[in-house]
Amino acid sequence: MSKIVVENLKYKYPATDFLALDGISFSAKAGEFIGIIGKNGSGKSTLCQAIAGLVPNFYKGSYGGKVMVDDIEVKNVDISDLCEKVGTVFQNPFNQVTGSKLTVYEEISFGLENLGIPKEEMIQRIDEAMELLDITKYKDRNPFDLSGGQMQRMAIASIIAMQPEVIVLDEPTSQLDPQGREEVYQAVQKLSKKGITIFMVEHNMEKIASYSDRVLIIDDGKQIAYDTPQKIFSRDDLDEYGIEAPAFTKICRELGKKNPVTGCYPVTLEEANDLLKKDKGEM
Amino acid sequence: MKSISLYEEKGSILNKLAPESKILYIILALVLPAIVGSKMVSVVFIAISIGLLLFSKVLKKTIPILGVSGFVLLTVVIIQGLFRAGNVTPLLTLGPVIFYKEGLLFAFNIVVNVLNILLSFCVLILATKPSDMIENFVRKGFSPRFGYVFISVFQIIPQMTETMATITDAQRSRGMETEGNLLVRIKAFLPLISPVVMSSLINTKERALALEVRGFNAKNKKTFLNDEKKSSADKYIQITMILLLIAGIVWRVVGCLK
Ligand SMILES: Nc1ncnc2c1ncn2[C@@H]1O[C@H](COP(=O)(O)OP(=O)(O)OP(=O)(O)O)[C@@H](O)[C@H]1O
Ligand SMILES: [Mg+2]
Repeated sequence: MSKIVVENLKYKYPATDFLALDGISFSAKAGEFIGIIGKNGSGKSTLCQAIAGLVPNFYKGSYGGKVMVDDIEVKNVDISDLCEKVGTVFQNPFNQVTGSKLTVYEEISFGLENLGIPKEEMIQRIDEAMELLDITKYKDRNPFDLSGGQMQRMAIASIIAMQPEVIVLDEPTSQLDPQGREEVYQAVQKLSKKGITIFMVEHNMEKIASYSDRVLIIDDGKQIAYDTPQKIFSRDDLDEYGIEAPAFTKICRELGKKNPVTGCYPVTLEEANDLLKKDKGEM
Repeated sequence: MKSISLYEEKGSILNKLAPESKILYIILALVLPAIVGSKMVSVVFIAISIGLLLFSKVLKKTIPILGVSGFVLLTVVIIQGLFRAGNVTPLLTLGPVIFYKEGLLFAFNIVVNVLNILLSFCVLILATKPSDMIENFVRKGFSPRFGYVFISVFQIIPQMTETMATITDAQRSRGMETEGNLLVRIKAFLPLISPVVMSSLINTKERALALEVRGFNAKNKKTFLNDEKKSSADKYIQITMILLLIAGIVWRVVGCLK
């Protein structure tokens, strides 16, 4: 049973004369981790916003096709209702701080207050979310006094506390250092194991390769491919879409080492390692 | 982070009271003297305000506020004391300058009024967390959106000032003159203002999106993480103040009837 179904989605921003999304169709199951890749301006953020209903309900513009979350058609519900099902984390941590709360703890409560969650449950959810993102120690800090990575984890905690079934993350780690990035990925993976469907836009292909169940390539608003990371990164035409395969894939491609079962190049260190070891054994 | 809010939590009684009680106090302090028609009432309220501020350990914070207005008030005293039309009774002679009683009395009235307004507002502002006050309004039916705007202003303005400072530094490090005479400053201001405006416009859009996905426009009834700010004393304080107000009105009406 699919959690999310996108059918021939087309979208044009107001006052523009090109389709920012042009015929996107895919589906994802509950708990799947979907990576979205493509070059700058290809429409990744627009797609994220279409899943969260911001396109077309915030931006207006012309819209065709549909996005279904369970049996809800995204276009037909208010963003404030949809946000209980689909949570969104944006790129810039700073702009996600509401500015109306004085502590991290209160900041996380913002969405819950809006949803009308009773106080006791609110406290329990906030504590859980802070624990998961490892920000409990900053609970009494002013939200603006956090580092970028801490702020982004607070933003994710704020969304997680609202207990959505799908979370869309648009380059959430582009402003973080490698450690902050890894922390965010670990946390997101935990969510995905809990059955939350994840959409992740990311320019770091190593991360996409090791965490995604399936990867969607978009270019110029068009869907180029939707497949496992192995299949995606074994394609010969990645250059055309401004995508660079993970280092391990490139090495194995040079060496001509394909996985004999799948016919694909490995995409992670472990896979590459396994393959090379096996080869050695055979020799 | 810098804050433009003057409030400081000192755990004082004033901190613990409901914001409404303090607002009612301002109303009482401003309206009662007018109803009763006596400057003495204002003076009494000034004394009460000073007492409350002293007791809440925030009297020191009124000094900068009083300093600025003090300067203006001093000019009022001097000008009115010396030159007010209708000055006839000399009161004080300092060499060639003569202060007149009528002008000084008039100036005294102004000073008392201004001080009363300032100090009673200080009772509210220096001892109330802005977000507590707005939250209490929202609980009573005030629009959460306006509430948000009011509260966020306290955080976002200092944030914009910081952006401004960062951009100024960046421009200066590229060799732009930002100090000097007015013309230099105006020339420096233009390239400075456009990135600030641009970045705040973009930020505003992004923040609007971020608020949307956190249910900002949800139609259901909001709940609150923090309990309503009030103490057991609030009810009695508010009743007392309302009674005082009524007493003042009755006293005045009876006085008029006689
Ligand atoms: N609010 C908007 N109004 C008009 N056009 C827009 C708007 N936002 C994006 N676009 C255009 O839509 C296209 C897709 O943009 P989008 O932001 O989705 O790309 P992206 O893949 O997220 O790029 P990046 O990797 O830089 O984040 C671009 O050509 C962009 O200029
Ligand atoms: Mg983007």
